[in-house]
Amino acid sequence: MVRIGLISRISAASRRTVQAAGLAAGLLGGAGLAGCGLQKEIDVELPAYPAQLVVEAYLENGRVPRLTVTESVDYLAAPTPAVPTDVTATLTLPDGRREVLKFAPAFDERTGKAYTHVGLRPLVAQPGQTFDLELTDTKGRRVTGTATVPVLVPIDTVEWVFNDKPEAERKAYVLVRFQDPQTPADFYRMQIHRRRVNKEPEVDYVIEDRLNNGIEYTLGTGYDFRPNDTLVVSLYHLNRPYYDFLQSVQNARSANGNPFGQPSAIKSTVEGGLGVFTVLSYQRRQLIVK
Amino acid sequence: MNLRFAFGLFFVASLLLPAAAQAQVRYALSGLVKAAGTGETLPGATVAVPALGLGATADATGAYRLELPAGRYQVVVSFIGFQSLSRDLNLTRDQRQNFQLAEAGNELGEVLVQGSGTLEQKLQTTQMSVERLTAKEARLLPALFGEVDILKTLQLKPGVQNGGEGTSGLFVRGGSADQNLVLLDDALVYNPSHLFGLFSVFNPDAVQSVDLYKGGFPAQYGGRLSSVVDVKLRPGNPDKIGVSGGLGLISSRLTMEGPIKKGKGAFLVAGRRTYFDVFTRQINNLNKSDPDFNPIPDYYFYDFNAKANYKLGDRDELFLSGYFGNDVFSFGSGQGFNFDFSWGNRVAALRWSHVFSPRLFLNTTASYTGYKYDISNKLDQFSFNLASDIQDLNLRSDLDYRPNEQHTLRAGLTATAHRFGTGRLRAGSGDGRLNLGSDITYFGQEAAAYLSDVYKPSEKWQFEAGLRASGFQSGGRQHGGLEPRAAVRYAVSPTVSVKGSYALMYQYVHLVTNSGASLPTDIWYPSRESVRPQRSQQVAGGVSWLLGDGRYLITNELYYKWAQRQIDFKDGAQLFVNPDLDSDFLFGKGWAYGNEIYLEKKQGRTTGWLGYTLAWTKRRFPPQRGTSGINNGDTFYPNYDRRHNLTAVVIHSLSERVKLSGSFVYSSGQATTLPLGRFGFQDVYGAETSAVPIYPQRNTYRLAPYNRLDLGLVWQMKPTRWFTESDLTFSVYNAYNRRNPYFVYFDQVKDEQTEQVVRYRARQVSLFPVIPSVTYNFKF
Repeated sequence: MVRIGLISRISAASRRTVQAAGLAAGLLGGAGLAGCGLQKEIDVELPAYPAQLVVEAYLENGRVPRLTVTESVDYLAAPTPAVPTDVTATLTLPDGRREVLKFAPAFDERTGKAYTHVGLRPLVAQPGQTFDLELTDTKGRRVTGTATVPVLVPIDTVEWVFNDKPEAERKAYVLVRFQDPQTPADFYRMQIHRRRVNKEPEVDYVIEDRLNNGIEYTLGTGYDFRPNDTLVVSLYHLNRPYYDFLQSVQNARSANGNPFGQPSAIKSTVEGGLGVFTVLSYQRRQLIVK
Repeated sequence: MNLRFAFGLFFVASLLLPAAAQAQVRYALSGLVKAAGTGETLPGATVAVPALGLGATADATGAYRLELPAGRYQVVVSFIGFQSLSRDLNLTRDQRQNFQLAEAGNELGEVLVQGSGTLEQKLQTTQMSVERLTAKEARLLPALFGEVDILKTLQLKPGVQNGGEGTSGLFVRGGSADQNLVLLDDALVYNPSHLFGLFSVFNPDAVQSVDLYKGGFPAQYGGRLSSVVDVKLRPGNPDKIGVSGGLGLISSRLTMEGPIKKGKGAFLVAGRRTYFDVFTRQINNLNKSDPDFNPIPDYYFYDFNAKANYKLGDRDELFLSGYFGNDVFSFGSGQGFNFDFSWGNRVAALRWSHVFSPRLFLNTTASYTGYKYDISNKLDQFSFNLASDIQDLNLRSDLDYRPNEQHTLRAGLTATAHRFGTGRLRAGSGDGRLNLGSDITYFGQEAAAYLSDVYKPSEKWQFEAGLRASGFQSGGRQHGGLEPRAAVRYAVSPTVSVKGSYALMYQYVHLVTNSGASLPTDIWYPSRESVRPQRSQQVAGGVSWLLGDGRYLITNELYYKWAQRQIDFKDGAQLFVNPDLDSDFLFGKGWAYGNEIYLEKKQGRTTGWLGYTLAWTKRRFPPQRGTSGINNGDTFYPNYDRRHNLTAVVIHSLSERVKLSGSFVYSSGQATTLPLGRFGFQDVYGAETSAVPIYPQRNTYRLAPYNRLDLGLVWQMKPTRWFTESDLTFSVYNAYNRRNPYFVYFDQVKDEQTEQVVRYRARQVSLFPVIPSVTYNFKF
């Protein structure tokens, strides 16, 4: 997956530095670490880490709320899903009504995700409204979170430009333009999927308007797309806690296996556990690159 | 009695007492001691008057000074590895006299550790916690890829840790790598490393020596907390034009030197360049037709050093030193995408040395130093550029005054104008629809004044006291403080000395880094409103004992250092182009203590040293600024904390032409951070479910201990018609091929058929296996 942003891609620059460092070190270290037997499996004794409840809850206007509650495990534990069955999930709506979600683990074909709890009816979520989530279990653990609905930031244009190569090598990059509102501290996530959104996106990155607030933004890709590719472009407008959570997840992943990385704690949007509770605000465009 | 008053009293009393005792007319005999062949000054050379039983030692610049009654004397000048020189002098007034020593014939094939000073001088001096190393010494030792690196050789000294396999960063007595004051001929070097810290910027062909101060800092040094790395370039040959160089596995070097005008001055220019890129381009060309082949990016570094000196008269001499170097990393995909990354230092220093009288010298230096990095990213008509730099202009003046045999006074002033370009971002497109920019620049001014005195009331006692007043201002906010320095030496017997020292240091500029390694994107940041200067204090005590008729010196030093306002960063801090970077800083305290034992032998067919350090380094960052601090405010070990560190270095002369060397290092495992837990993260639409590591605490895991043996052989060839000197230097790095840990990571093991994760595992990565290398060095 190529990730090239044209604006505010500071984090990408730092990542490239680190990649460059790794490459140079690898260059010196020989023809690849694995090839020289410079990697080996070792026994590591880690202190016990108490399991925490982990929640992923992405509410959407007009959709029945579905959320996933799991548990964290020791890193080297067996890869069996840790799904607690005794968690009560309660959603508080903007008007103060409390709705207990049903524990009914299943798979959502539309999103391609598993979930554990499901609501009774579609939500109505208007920008500025606030939702609360509370999770409790029989062990006395309690996780709480609050999420405010972000304003929708529409996509202005999506365009693509082909290179000048012969037909067989002809590829296009895509540009997505939108107007950042005058409000400070806006955060965005752009995804481009091929054909369907329930598969791994081709392009996926987050940006913020810290350096240039209130201007037209252009987000781009590399020469990743062939003629007649069907693309689904999604632009999410995020609030700060969700953005910080995504960044911390990215940082934590990058730190594993990177001698130059600084390990980073997960910045959850919830208290008492790990994870994210947010309301999605996005616009989507489908197009065929010709 | 307050501290300032006590120091004042010390200066006044120590100056007046010996003056009252003087009755006989005495004159100063002073000058420089140099090597006849190369013109190099010889710090540590002895100038003695046997008839009076008096003598003096040449200082770091090769200057000596003796106070003698009027009369006719035989003066004997000697130094290890050089023929002694005897000269009759009639002293009827203050007199300046330079000496040139010829290199000794080396029939015994002794390893001559020139310029490092004798063990006896080390025993006698008040200065403790200092290590001197010459490039000649470093060249005899085995090196990674055969690339001699004087900073890496310093890592073999007790009290000095490295930052990881192969890196040149120095972690001195619990200090971090940015707390070292790295000077090149009195000019500051901000980023003294190439290739992400794997090599230092100092070309061994251009370097004469390096002094590393770990504690007991003289008052002329300031601005960093943990060490002073004082690198001196060597002057050019004043007698004849010469060319020397070397061909190595990864780089080549070439040096040219000679007189500017006979008897007036000399120059030296040295350059080197690596050639990884030559090989990687060939590999890329060979694989051009393979669509699955990922081209290897170009990488190389080069640097130039230059030094020139010119005598304006009997009393004045100018010295010009310079450094220019770059690392270049570039990648082009061939599909309109280009990534270029370059970084480097520029350093220039002009020193004017003036001799008012044999008792009074003045050195005035104007210098410029700059470091910058630049990342350019291009895709078709779009461009993205990220850059940062720091530039300093400095003026300093140092006055040496030696009123009598008992005192050596030194006073000085220094002023620096800093410009911190902490972040510059440019993004643009060819059609003009995209044109963005952001610049964050700060300015700062730093100044200091100091006064110090080395006072020798008797053969038994020697004191050194100094006071440095320093200040810094940036963004309308001023910081400053007094930095007292003191040292004492008591000679218990002619072979045993007891020493003690104290130093307080301030650091006004801070390295912004989130990594333990030395990355080119690390930026420097000034003390400002909410970022107060770092401060440290260190006490050290030690004993030195000369054994075996002066052939061995064993030194034991204990130190304790405590530091305030140490800097770290919040998790996930945005360090690039952040106008509100202050808010991402975290402040804490640090402690370091330990014991260093050091046995040295500098003469004979077999020389070397053995060092052992037992040390603790701790830090604590309490909850603050909306965070729980680091590790919830608990004390933790930084990653360069090592409990045990053992180094052994042996150089043995098999014959006049063949020298063998070996170095062995053992150190306790590095503290590192591993994730204790994980959770499955599904994310929104489509993104693949992944395991997210959880890092609740930093540095809770220790990597396996590090140990390594390096072997070297220098085979000096006979002079030929073309080459007056040449040698082949063989090195074997990591001779027993130990897989030392570089880092540990966790990954998944998947079933080959189902692609399902079956288990998680820990894997240890090592960087360098056994690496043999050969370098050919020549001179004509």
